[in-house]
Formats: sequence, C-alpha cells, structure tokens
Amino acid sequence: MNFFRKGCLSVALLAMLSGCATNSLFVSYPSQAEKWKATLGNEAASSGTTLKLEKATAGGDGVLYLQELGRVTQLNGEGEASRNAFADVVSKYDAEDASAKIQVSSLAASGTSLITNDNARPYVAPDYERIFTRAYQAMNYWAENDVTGTAVELRAAALEQRVSANKREKEIAKAEEEAEENKIDLNQFDGYFDGIDAVAGGVKASFQNAWTFYLSALFWEAHGEYNDALVDYKKALEINPGVDMIKEDVERVSNPRALRGSDEGMVAVLYEQGFVQPREEFSLPIPTIHGVFSVAFPTYAIGSKPRPDSLRVLDSASQPLGETVVLADVGGLAAKDLKERMPGMLVRQTLRATAKYNMQKQANDNFGLLGSLSTQIYNLVSEQADRRSWLTLPAYAQATRFQLPQGEHALVLSTPAGNRTLTVPVVRRGLTVIHAVAVPGQLITRVLPVQEGPL
Amino acid sequence: MVRVFSMMMLGAALVLSGCSTVDYGDAQGRETVNTDFGSTDLQMIASKMVDDMLVFPPIVQMTQSRRPVVFVDRIKNKTTEHVDTESITDTIQSKLINSGKFRFADMTVVERVREQLDYQSESGLVDQSTAAAMGRQIGAEFMMYGNFSSIVKRDGSTKDVYYKFTLKLLNIQTGIIEWANEKEIRKTKSKSLFGL
Repeated sequence: MNFFRKGCLSVALLAMLSGCATNSLFVSYPSQAEKWKATLGNEAASSGTTLKLEKATAGGDGVLYLQELGRVTQLNGEGEASRNAFADVVSKYDAEDASAKIQVSSLAASGTSLITNDNARPYVAPDYERIFTRAYQAMNYWAENDVTGTAVELRAAALEQRVSANKREKEIAKAEEEAEENKIDLNQFDGYFDGIDAVAGGVKASFQNAWTFYLSALFWEAHGEYNDALVDYKKALEINPGVDMIKEDVERVSNPRALRGSDEGMVAVLYEQGFVQPREEFSLPIPTIHGVFSVAFPTYAIGSKPRPDSLRVLDSASQPLGETVVLADVGGLAAKDLKERMPGMLVRQTLRATAKYNMQKQANDNFGLLGSLSTQIYNLVSEQADRRSWLTLPAYAQATRFQLPQGEHALVLSTPAGNRTLTVPVVRRGLTVIHAVAVPGQLITRVLPVQEGPL
Repeated sequence: MVRVFSMMMLGAALVLSGCSTVDYGDAQGRETVNTDFGSTDLQMIASKMVDDMLVFPPIVQMTQSRRPVVFVDRIKNKTTEHVDTESITDTIQSKLINSGKFRFADMTVVERVREQLDYQSESGLVDQSTAAAMGRQIGAEFMMYGNFSSIVKRDGSTKDVYYKFTLKLLNIQTGIIEWANEKEIRKTKSKSLFGL
C-alpha cells in the first residue's frame, strides 16, 4: 500500500512537472538548438525543424522558440514566415509588458522551479534579444521594400534601447535589495563567475547595440533624414568610440550640403558572424549529512567564445573596397545580461537548495534508504542550470560601407567561411545594403532593395 | 448514480462552453484593450478633423456656393506601430463627402480608371456615344496630407503613449496651406498588481 501511494505521488509529480509546459526542464536548451542551427540555409532539411519549432512556440518558452523560428525562416529566405513569427514575438513582448506584477501562473511556475530548476520559469526575453528582433523585422520589411514598415520597426528598436537604459538601474538595485532581505551574500559567489566577466569583455551595458543603431542611421541617411541619421550615428559612436568609420559618418551627415553634389551611391555590408555561444553549466555538489545535493548555475566560459574575423569586400579587379568592423559583440551582451540577472538567480538558487535539502531530510526520516536514495537521484537530475537564450543570433554583428559610382558592380565578399561574388546595383545618392551571414560551412547573402529619395 | 454522473457532465459542459462566446458590440463604443492605436482613436481623430474643418470661417465661406475638389496625398506614419493611415483618411474623406461641402479625386485608382477608359475608347466593344471621353476629368484644387507621430514612454509599471495627428489642406495652385489642425491623444496603462 505504501509503495502504491509512493508510486501515485511520483506519477502526480511527473504530471505536474510536464504540465508546466517548458521544454528545457530536463533537456538542455543548447542541445535542442543544435538541431535547427545545423539546418540553416538548407531549405529541404529545415522544413522539418521549422515544424518542430512551430510546435514548441505554444509552450511557456514560446517567445524563445518564436525568435528562433523568425531567424531560421529569415535565413532560409522565407520572408513572410519570418515576418509573421517576429510579429508574434512582438505581441508576446507586449503581453509581457502589460502583464500584472504578480501573476498566478508565474507564481505556479516559480513554485515548480523551487523543486526542479529555473527552466520551469517561463522564458522572458532579455532586452538585447528584443532589440535584435526589431532589427531583423526591419530587415524583413526592407527586403519587401516596405519603407514605412521598415521605418516603424527601426523606431521601435530605438525605443527598446531607450526603455532598457531607463529601467536597468532600477532593476539591479531591486535585485540587490532582495538579496539583502533574504540574507544572501552575493559576494560569496563572485569567484565562480570570472568567466562571465571575461566574456562580457568591453561591453558596458547588456542592451547597447551599435549595430542596430548603425542600420537605422544608414536607412535615415538614404532617405535624406539627416537629423535622425546623425542621432543614430552618434549613438553608435558613443558605444564604439574607437571606430573611425562612424566618425566619418557623423562628419558626413553633419554637413548634408556637401552630400548633394555627390554622384556616387553608398554600398553597406551588414555582416553577421557565426553563432553566439551558449551558456554553460557550472555545477557544485554539496555533501550534507543527509546526502549529496547539487547546485547548478549558468555561466559563460571565455574558452568557447569565438574570435571575431572580418569580411573583406573586393571589386572585380581584386582591389579592396572595405573591411567590416565589429559593432556589437553579441556574446558580450549575453554575458553582461546574465551577470545582471545573477543576483535574482542566486536568491532563487539558495531558496531552492533549502527546499531540496528539506526534501532530502524528510525522505531520510520517513522513507528510509530507498526513499532517500531516490530523492538524492532526483535532486541531482533535476538540478539543471537555466541555459536558455536565443542561440541563432550571431557571435559578432559587423558592418562596413563605401561609395561607388552609379551602375551595376560585381563585388567579392571574402570571409573565412567562404567567398561569394555578387552583382549589386548602385544608385546615385542611394543606399544598397548587402546582408551577409556566415554560419559554419557557408555564407548566406542577400541584397536588399536600394533605398533613395524622401520617406 | 448514473443520473448524478450525467448531471455532473452536463454541469461541466455548461461551465466549459462558457469559456468562449461571440457577440456583437457597438462599433462606436470605447475600446481600451491596450494602449495601441485602436478604433476609438481613429474615430476621435476623424470627427475632430472634420468638425473643425467644416466650421473654419474661410472654409465655410469657400464652400457656400461651390464644392471644391480635393485629393488625399498620404499621412506619414512616424509612430512605432504599424498603423493603416489610409484607413484614417478614408474615414475623414467619407465624412467630408457626406457633409456635401467637398468632392474628392481618388489617386489610388488612377491606373484602373485609365484601363477602363482605354477599354471604352479602344476595344471597339463600347458604343462610342456612351463612352467616357478622355481628358475630361476635373483637376483637384486642394491636396490633403499630414503626419501621424507618437511619443512612447515605458517603465516597469506604466506605459504612456502620446499620439499627434496633423492634417493640412494645401491649395495646389498657390501653395498656401488653407487649413490645418491637429488632434492629440494621450493613453496611459498601469500594470495591475494581480492577474492570471
């Protein structure tokens, strides 16, 4: 009878856990992401993965899978599917922004996370992912030559950056306050997270993305909105003060009269290199008199961070035209974001360790050796670090630009991932954007419609 | 026992079917689902613009004896939302036509009108005594255009949206703006403390 009751209990527990509808509870997210990362740019193989992603979007981590779906379909050249996916992502962001401060559903998820792990909590997209969503959506509209749609998304991207900057300080202060209330010394964990600091490197804030500012500045400039262009170039320069290219841009649009005489058009290359590195797990077994239980944290290791490499553009006579510079170190943004989330994570981790320790103690007292052993195994298996993040983002977002005379030009894009020759149209005082994405083994490129004339 | 069970099922069915209903609502009713641009904003903008324009003294004077021809250029969407600005100008245009004071030339159908004119004059299928003649359309005297912009502020618990809709009526020949007006709308949403 006792055995039967225990069986019922564990079945009920399982049902409850599977009911919380996030997919990463026991299967780590990076290993799931490998599937769709491997099929990028390969339409035949990717239709299956797109279907899988679509199914996953219904769960508690829907927004994360939708982001991946939007990106995967974009790189496979399915513009409309990508636009729909990102539109759904944005409505999920809006729902998240409008949701009540204390939600019954998230309380339940937090409750489940107390006896399992942080993956039980619904995924909330960090600000740097929101900004990329807006930028990619702008590119979707741009690819369809919907100028108004592009402008709307670029404005929304700028709004996201502004909102993030405003709320950042408040949030960190609040998390630290919470840690203090729960009597948790955040400094005791400091040594474990050196890797995160190393990966974050020179990134000052997790949301500052000069690449999206550069994208919108180019767009405004092409449409003669020099004031908007100047603001965005300046913001990009503020984030990357050392980049000479942006200094020239600022100078150029500060003096728009000089532009009028020019007979040339601008070609810009927006280059996305590789994949952002996934979070890794740092696990710490803690032996107690009631058995071993473990604590797992997500972290980043400097060793697995890819090095930036640039894309060079040559003309048909192999003369260099430009070389991309890194404008956004996405791995750095992700690491910085994790670091900012750390105080909250540590508070939950400590509460969870206490809850699990109590479970272990009760099992020891009530169910003897068998119960204690199974609780111990459960504790070890269920302790999984929260390794979820948007993994089809690039490791580095780069850009370059140069002037060419009006007409058709054959350009060679040269990267370590491969070379590609493209013929691009150049219009006097217009802007031609080449979007190039290097994923392992291939270089995906497309030329966006030329932008010119007033908005 | 069976009866109790079936009553329970019936009860459950009633409760469950209560989850989703379809109903007709008042199209003019206030819509406050969220701070995004919505039907009430559209209606407020359109009626404010039309009411204001029809009582503006120079316009009253001008439309006393004739019905000037206007064409709608476009409203620039400078907000952070994908708003169908044509829908706003359509409402304004309908209201102005129904006032009996203005007539409109529709630039969005020019190509299709041209096709029809070509068909009537060149296909040989149409009785030429009833065919519409080329080159007899009336030129518009005024151009209607404007801007739609927004300022959005958001923090942890509040979202504030300020919309400004500007509409102008320009005399094409003289280049003078004969009338202009703007409508401001402010919407604020605060997060509730508890929710599902």
